[in-house]
Amino acid sequence: MENYVLVKQVPDPEAIIKVKSDSELEVENKYFTNFFDEIAIEAGLKLREKFGGKVTVLTVDPKKVDALRRGIAMGADDAIQIADAALEGSDQLATARALAAYLKDKPFDLILAGRQAMDDDAGIVGPAVAELLGIPHVNAIIGLDIEDPKKEAKVIREVEGGQEVLSCSLPALFTCQKGLNHPRIPQVMNVMKAMKAQIKKLDLAALGLSKADIGAQAARIKVRKYLSPPKRPPVRMIKEDFPENLKILVKLLREEAKVI
Amino acid sequence: MSDEIWVFAEQQQGRVRKVAFELLSAGAEFSRKTGSALAAILLGSGLQEAVKSLTPFADKIYVVDAPGLASYTSDAYLSNMAPLIQEHRPAALLGGATSTGKDLFPRLATHLRAGYAPDCTGLTVEENGALIARRPIYGGKVFAEMVFSEARPQMATVRNNTFPVHEALHKSAQVIPISAQADPSFVKQKVLGLEKAAGMKLDISEAEIVVAAGRGIKAPENFKILEELAEVLRASVGTTRATVDEGWRDQKDQIGKSGKNISAKLYMAFGISGAIHHILGIGTCKTVVAVDTDPNALIFNYADYGIVGDLFKIIPALTEELKKTLAGDP
Amino acid sequence: MALDFTFAEEQEFFRQMVRDAVNRLIMPKVVELDEKEEFPWDLWKEFATLGYLGLRHEEKYGGMATDTVSQMIFYEELARGSCGFAMTAIMQILMGTYFIARFGSESIKQRILVPAIKGEKIGTICFTEDQSGSDLGGTKTLATKVEGGWRINGRKQWITNGPIAEFCTCMATVDPKLGLKGLNFYLVEKKTADRDGFAPGQKLHKLGSRCSVTGELVFDNVFVPDENFLGEEIGKGVRYAGEILNEVRIMTAMCALAIAKGAMEDAREYAKNRIAFGNPISKYQLIREKFAKYWASYEVSWNYAYKCAWMIQNKIPCTNECMLAKYHATEMCMAAVEEAMRIYGGNAFCTEYPPQRYWRDAKFLLYGGGTHEVLCDYLGRIFCKD
Repeated sequence: MENYVLVKQVPDPEAIIKVKSDSELEVENKYFTNFFDEIAIEAGLKLREKFGGKVTVLTVDPKKVDALRRGIAMGADDAIQIADAALEGSDQLATARALAAYLKDKPFDLILAGRQAMDDDAGIVGPAVAELLGIPHVNAIIGLDIEDPKKEAKVIREVEGGQEVLSCSLPALFTCQKGLNHPRIPQVMNVMKAMKAQIKKLDLAALGLSKADIGAQAARIKVRKYLSPPKRPPVRMIKEDFPENLKILVKLLREEAKVI
Repeated sequence: MSDEIWVFAEQQQGRVRKVAFELLSAGAEFSRKTGSALAAILLGSGLQEAVKSLTPFADKIYVVDAPGLASYTSDAYLSNMAPLIQEHRPAALLGGATSTGKDLFPRLATHLRAGYAPDCTGLTVEENGALIARRPIYGGKVFAEMVFSEARPQMATVRNNTFPVHEALHKSAQVIPISAQADPSFVKQKVLGLEKAAGMKLDISEAEIVVAAGRGIKAPENFKILEELAEVLRASVGTTRATVDEGWRDQKDQIGKSGKNISAKLYMAFGISGAIHHILGIGTCKTVVAVDTDPNALIFNYADYGIVGDLFKIIPALTEELKKTLAGDP
Repeated sequence: MALDFTFAEEQEFFRQMVRDAVNRLIMPKVVELDEKEEFPWDLWKEFATLGYLGLRHEEKYGGMATDTVSQMIFYEELARGSCGFAMTAIMQILMGTYFIARFGSESIKQRILVPAIKGEKIGTICFTEDQSGSDLGGTKTLATKVEGGWRINGRKQWITNGPIAEFCTCMATVDPKLGLKGLNFYLVEKKTADRDGFAPGQKLHKLGSRCSVTGELVFDNVFVPDENFLGEEIGKGVRYAGEILNEVRIMTAMCALAIAKGAMEDAREYAKNRIAFGNPISKYQLIREKFAKYWASYEVSWNYAYKCAWMIQNKIPCTNECMLAKYHATEMCMAAVEEAMRIYGGNAFCTEYPPQRYWRDAKFLLYGGGTHEVLCDYLGRIFCKD
C-alpha cells in the first residue's frame, strides 16, 4: 500500500503560551510532534506491516522538520517538507491546497492525518485535503480495518452516545483519534536514520501552485485578537442543601464550566 | 448572495439535536440585528416530526428528506447541501461542533471556498453581517477572536451549551422541500451500524472525564456506585494510593505523584482529602469538583466547585441527576 | 571561530527521542521499580527491543555506534527516570561489554556480544572485593596460568547485575605482590552443567537503585580457556581499564545531573503548590535561595561534563578534567538532593514523596569510579605538582 501521513510540529503541551498583545502570542520554544499525527503514523506503519508498500510523511512548515524525523524514527520510508515564503500567513485551507497539490498525482491508497493539531485545534486540513483530492474521508476514527487495500476500509468513528461503524471506499483520507492505536517508541536504529535523513524540500513552483491560492491574502479567516483565558477563581462551595446542591452543580458544569 | 443566517439542523434518528435549537436561538438574535432572515437546513429521512419541532425557530426550513440521508455521511450530505448554499450564498452558516459538524464543515468550507471557524465558544455578529467567532486554541490556553474575509458563507461550528435555547421564538417557518441528489454511485461511504459506547475505556491519563474515590469509599464493592456515575459521564474511574495498597483497585488507576498524572477536562474527587501528592497529579485538569465530609479538606483549595457532603448519598443522586440532564442531549 | 557551545541538530533530536522513550517506558514505573527490589524483566525486554543497548558497538554485531557526546546525552536522559534501571542498562552498554568488544575473539563476540546487545545475555564487570574498592592494587582474586587457560579464584563484591549475569569481565591478579602491575581482565561466564564458571553469591540489599540487582560473584577455581584472556599483554589490566575510565566518570556525572534535575524539578512543583502561612512556599526567600544555588551549580556541572565528553570524543587527554567533572557533578547532586529533602519538609520523610528516592539513589554516585576522598587526594597532589 502507498500510504501518506500528514504531520505537524506543534508546541509541547507544557510550553508556556502568553498573550503578548492583541496580535501577538509568545510561544515557548518547545515543540513536539502533534500526538494525533503519531497515531496516524502508527496506523500507516501497521498497514505496511500487513500489506507491504511504503509510508511517506508530509508536512507544511518553513523550518521545523522534527515531526518528519519522528516519522522516520518510527519507521516511515520517506519524508517531504513543503516550504515556501509565500505560504506565510496561510489559513488551513491554503495549507490543504499545498498538500493536495503535492498529492494529486501520487498513487496513494490511503492518506492519514491526526484528528486536529494541538496548536490551532482546528481539524480542518484533513477533510479539506480530502475534498480537494475528491476522495471520501471520515473524521476521528478509533478503529480501522482493511481486507483489500484496493477496495474499501471499515472504520469506527466516535459519535455522541456511541460508536458508528462505516465502510468507506479507497482511496480515502482518515483522521485519527486517541484510542485507535498506541504509537510505537522509535528504535534507535531508526532514530539514527532519522537524524541523518535527507528531507526532500519542495516549494510552490515545484507544486505548480500560484501565490493567489495561498498566503495571507488568500486567507478566508484570520485572527483579529488574542485573549487570555479568564483567571481561575477560588473554589465555589455549593452551600445549598441536598439535593438542590446537585442540581446546581450539574447546571454549573453544563453552563458555566461547559464540561458536560 | 443573501444576508441570511443559516443553521445546519443536525438530526439523529429523526430528532433534531439540542445544539441546533441553541444556534437558531442565537441566530434569531443575529438576524434581528442584521435585518435578515433565519433559515434552517435539515437533511435526513422521515423528517415530519423534526420539521415540526423546527418550525417555531426559523423563518425558513430547507428540507432534504431521502432514505439515503438517514445517517450522516460527508459525501451524501455535502452533495445535497453544497448546491443549495451555492445558490443562496447566505451570510453565515452555523452548526454544532459535534462529531458530525466537525466532519462535515471543514469539507464543506473547502468545497465552497469559504472561511470556517471550528469549535467556537462565542459568536457575535455586526450590523453589516460580519461574524466574529471566538475559539480556544493551544488546548484552551489562549482564545482567538476570528474575523472572515468577504467569502460567503462565513462558517462556524459552535460548542454545545454556548447559547441558551429561547423557548419562545414564535416563528412560523416556511418549509421548502428540496429534492435529494439521488445518485447513489456517488456515495462512497456507508454506515453499517451504531454501537453503544461499550468497552474501550480510556486510561485515566487519557480520559476526558475522570471520577475518583479514595479510602472514604470504605469497601471495594462500593466502587460500584462510582462506576455507575462514570458510565453516565462516559468517564474513567481513578483512585488514590490508599485503595491500591489495600488491593481494592489496580495500580493503573492510581492518581498522584506515585501514580499517574491526569489532565481531564473534568475531574471529580469523592472523599479524597487532597494530600499534596494527589494534588500534584491533577494539576492540569480543567475543572475540578470535590466532595468531602470535611469542610476544611485541603482539596477544596484546588477545586473549582465543592460540596461538603456524604459521598454515599451524593454519588447515586448525582448519577440520577446527570441521567436526566444528559438524556436530553442527542 | 572557536568555542561553539551548541549541540548538533541531530544530537538535539536524539535527546528528544531518548527523553520521549524514557517518558513512555520508564517514568510510569519509577516507583514500582524502586519498591520491588527485583530485576524488571518485562521492562528490560521492551527496552532491549529499542536497540539502545548497542549504542557503543559496531553494526556488524547489531549495534550502531554513536559519538561520545550522544552517548552521554543518552545516559543523562536515561538516568532521569529510574537510576536503578539506568545502572543496569549502562553496565550492559559500557563496562560490561567494553572489553569483550575490544579484546574478544570473533567467536566470543558472536557468543557473548551479539546476544548482549539484544539484551538476551546480561553482563557485568568485576572490580570490587571485600577489602579493595578504590584500591585496585589490593585485588586478591587470583588468576593462575594452567594448561590451555587460567584458573580464577576469589570473590567479587558489589557486582551490578551480579545475581542475574550470564557473563562478566573479571579483574584478577597474577600475583598480589605485583600490585597494579599484576592486574588483568578475563571473560568468565556463569557456571552451567557443561561449563565451568562463576556462581552468584549473596545478594545485596541496597539503599537505592534497588531494581538494579547487585550481589557477590564467587569464582571457585573456575577454569577459563586462553581465549578468555581479554588483553594483549599480561599485567596491562589497569592501563586497559584506563581506556574507559574517563567515559565512566562522565557517565557518572550524567547520572548525577539527571538525579539532581529530577529532584529539584519535583521540588519546584511541590514548592509552587504547597501552601504554608497563606502562600505557596516558592514565594519565600529561603526556599528560593535553595533553587538559585542549585541552578548555578547545576549549570556549571552540566556544561563542564559536556565539555569533557567533547574532549573524550576529540581524543584530547582529559583524565584530570573527567575526575573534576565527576567530582563536581556528584557534589552538586548531593547538595541538590539534600535541599530537595528540606523543601518537602516533613513530607520528605514519607516514601509517598519522591525526594527520598532521589536522595537514596544519589548516594552511590559518591563511590562509583573512585571515592571522592581518593579523587581529592589524587587531584590535590596533581594540582600541587607534588
